Amino acid sequence: MSAVSEGIERARRGVGAGGSGRTTPRRRRRPTGGGLTLLLFALPSLILLLLINLYPLVYAAMQSVRSGNLINLGPFVGLANYRNVLTDPDFWHSALFTLIFTVTGVFGSWAVGLALAMLLRGKVPAGGVFKVLLLLPWVVPVVVSATSWNWLVATPQSPLPEFFSLLGFDNVLFLSDPTLAKIVVCVFKVWISFPFMMMMMSSALTAVDVNVYEAAKVDGATGWQSFRSITMPLISRSTYISWILMTIFCVNDFPTIYLLTGGGPTNATTSLVVLAYRTVFQDFQTGPGVAIAFLMTAVLVIVSVVLYRQIAKVNIE
Amino acid sequence: MAAPNPRPALSRRGFLGFAGAAGIATAGVLTGCNRAASTGGSSGGEKPLKFWNMPWGNTQFTTLDKKITTSYKPASGLNPASYQTIQWANFTQTFASAVASNTGPAVSSGGGTQAFQFEAQGKIAYADDLLNSWKSNGLYDDFLPGLIDTMKVDKGYAAIPYNLDMRVLWYNTKLLDQAGVEPPKTWDDFDKVCAALKQKGIYGYGTMAGAGAYTGSHTLVSWMINNGGGLFNAGHEPEMVTDVNIEAINFVLDCVKKGYVDPHSVSYTSDNAQSQWKAHKFGMGFDTAGLANNIGGTVGPELTIGSPLTSPSGKKGALYFPNNIMMYTNTPNQKSSEAFLTYYYKNMAPLWTSNTGIGLPPLKSITEKTGFRKDKNAVKAIEEWQPISKTWAAPGSNSLFLGVTTVDGTPAMDTFTQSILGGKVTAKQALSTLQDTVAKAIKAQG
Repeated sequence: MSAVSEGIERARRGVGAGGSGRTTPRRRRRPTGGGLTLLLFALPSLILLLLINLYPLVYAAMQSVRSGNLINLGPFVGLANYRNVLTDPDFWHSALFTLIFTVTGVFGSWAVGLALAMLLRGKVPAGGVFKVLLLLPWVVPVVVSATSWNWLVATPQSPLPEFFSLLGFDNVLFLSDPTLAKIVVCVFKVWISFPFMMMMMSSALTAVDVNVYEAAKVDGATGWQSFRSITMPLISRSTYISWILMTIFCVNDFPTIYLLTGGGPTNATTSLVVLAYRTVFQDFQTGPGVAIAFLMTAVLVIVSVVLYRQIAKVNIE
Repeated sequence: MAAPNPRPALSRRGFLGFAGAAGIATAGVLTGCNRAASTGGSSGGEKPLKFWNMPWGNTQFTTLDKKITTSYKPASGLNPASYQTIQWANFTQTFASAVASNTGPAVSSGGGTQAFQFEAQGKIAYADDLLNSWKSNGLYDDFLPGLIDTMKVDKGYAAIPYNLDMRVLWYNTKLLDQAGVEPPKTWDDFDKVCAALKQKGIYGYGTMAGAGAYTGSHTLVSWMINNGGGLFNAGHEPEMVTDVNIEAINFVLDCVKKGYVDPHSVSYTSDNAQSQWKAHKFGMGFDTAGLANNIGGTVGPELTIGSPLTSPSGKKGALYFPNNIMMYTNTPNQKSSEAFLTYYYKNMAPLWTSNTGIGLPPLKSITEKTGFRKDKNAVKAIEEWQPISKTWAAPGSNSLFLGVTTVDGTPAMDTFTQSILGGKVTAKQALSTLQDTVAKAIKAQG
């Protein structure tokens, strides 16, 4: 390890020049006698929560193994709905778009949010005003945002097609071309999500002691080295949490897509949640629709567990 | 001195007892609520029957409709009616969840094919007795020709025709004059008018197929019906890959290729399409009979409904939607539902004569009223388009059935329409895909 990187590592751990860097081991809490009383106090709420969450979950699970509709559960069909869904090309097409949408949404909004959070961390004139203005895409209802974006791109007379026309690109079909529609929907998602990431990253950055940077500077670290070896590791916990949350937001995001494109053109922007909605409420096939929702949930749980393990790893380090 | 041992305010045993009692009380309240909801439907007496109506027009419609409903004075022993507007947003879920939990209406309007869906699930009270009773008071014969038959299913009449929605040909008189062409009468004329408008940078085939905009798909089916085709055969099976349908879709694909269709139409919402009419970018196209009123301003008066086109097969035809009012088995009293509807149909004329923005009336007597005849376009739609219009069930029959719910605003129809308006498929290929998807969906209905 070079002297510089060793210095950065010590700085990151908040260890002075002569310090050992060891941390005091935490003592495990033992359950006390009052624990049972506390559990009993929480029991009514727990029962209520189970009733509220468990009943719909069990009912949905029953729907997913039956061939029914919105009114009747219908006959038991075993795992046929899952098999049909998993062998349907439309499902895999939607799964691929969901992946693209989620990856772009998570990392795009995180990158923009982090950049803005770092920018606004320093002394910026009217920084508070900027922060409030930057929060607007997150605060404004999606219906309003989607209408605004539709106005921005939908017709040849809309501002963006007009602008591209001035650049020599005539009749750019932002929402009518399948590829462009995908891009527009993903960019829209980044736009409405970056303020959330900015807030998460801002709060993470405020917890980083500026003295650590001073120490790294003394040790000769460049700006990029400080960012990579100090900022990133120190905000990694918040980063993983924000990724988990944004992944859940993106996978479950219905209005952003549905209001802007309705899943079209020709299913190009149909994500799994949109496909589930259309299957249940437009095709009136609750079994396959709910099966799609359960498959989505399974994937989300796996992704969340992987990311949570990363958080646990960060905590241990 | 030892400190006194403080006793907890509530012992564990006491807490358990309290929690148990609270749980039982909560369960009691919940079951009580459930009992009230499930038995309410058959209590009879003075309990109002629920009438749920959609916002078919502007705000004036809802005000007037509510006034008509709440002015109802039932005969002794029959139930009065309560009024509730159901917004279009998520209306399918609203009705489905309410009907499933027996908290739904006794009488309602709704989606055009909703009655057939609930009928298949045994939730509809057939209107046969009501319609029979109307034979003696003149209401039955007052319906426009062929309308009542569209509601007939195997077991009876699933609903009663209410507010007609049509897809008609509109053109902008000013723009056609500027282009030096006459309104089209045939498909060839349509092509010529589109070509002339294109010279002026105007689209002759104005349409929309974006989020929640189903006019594009309705228009495609209209072209098929116009050519003597349609989606279903007499056995209610999907039969779409026919020569007349292929010819109709090829005509549309030709329009796309020649640049008569705005390429953005694939993603146009209703608002986008209206903005194109207002911007004089659409000179001709298909829309509801209320387009001119919806556009308003200076452009609205320039818009006129054209006559139905004659197809190469020599036939005329179009798609229309006889929206309807249905009665449910979950009613305080079936006689009350029927009595209320008799009152409602006898008194609903102002909805079409007071500029409420509703579609077209189902009763001949309303179409003869001065208030209705002031709107020349509405009169033309009723006189020229209604007689040649057919339902989703065409060409096999005119009576609606459960299977039509697989094409009414479904993803399969959206994809079909967007692929045609995108112009990158062949007619046969697109129709085959649609037919296969619809057949699969009908099979899934059981």
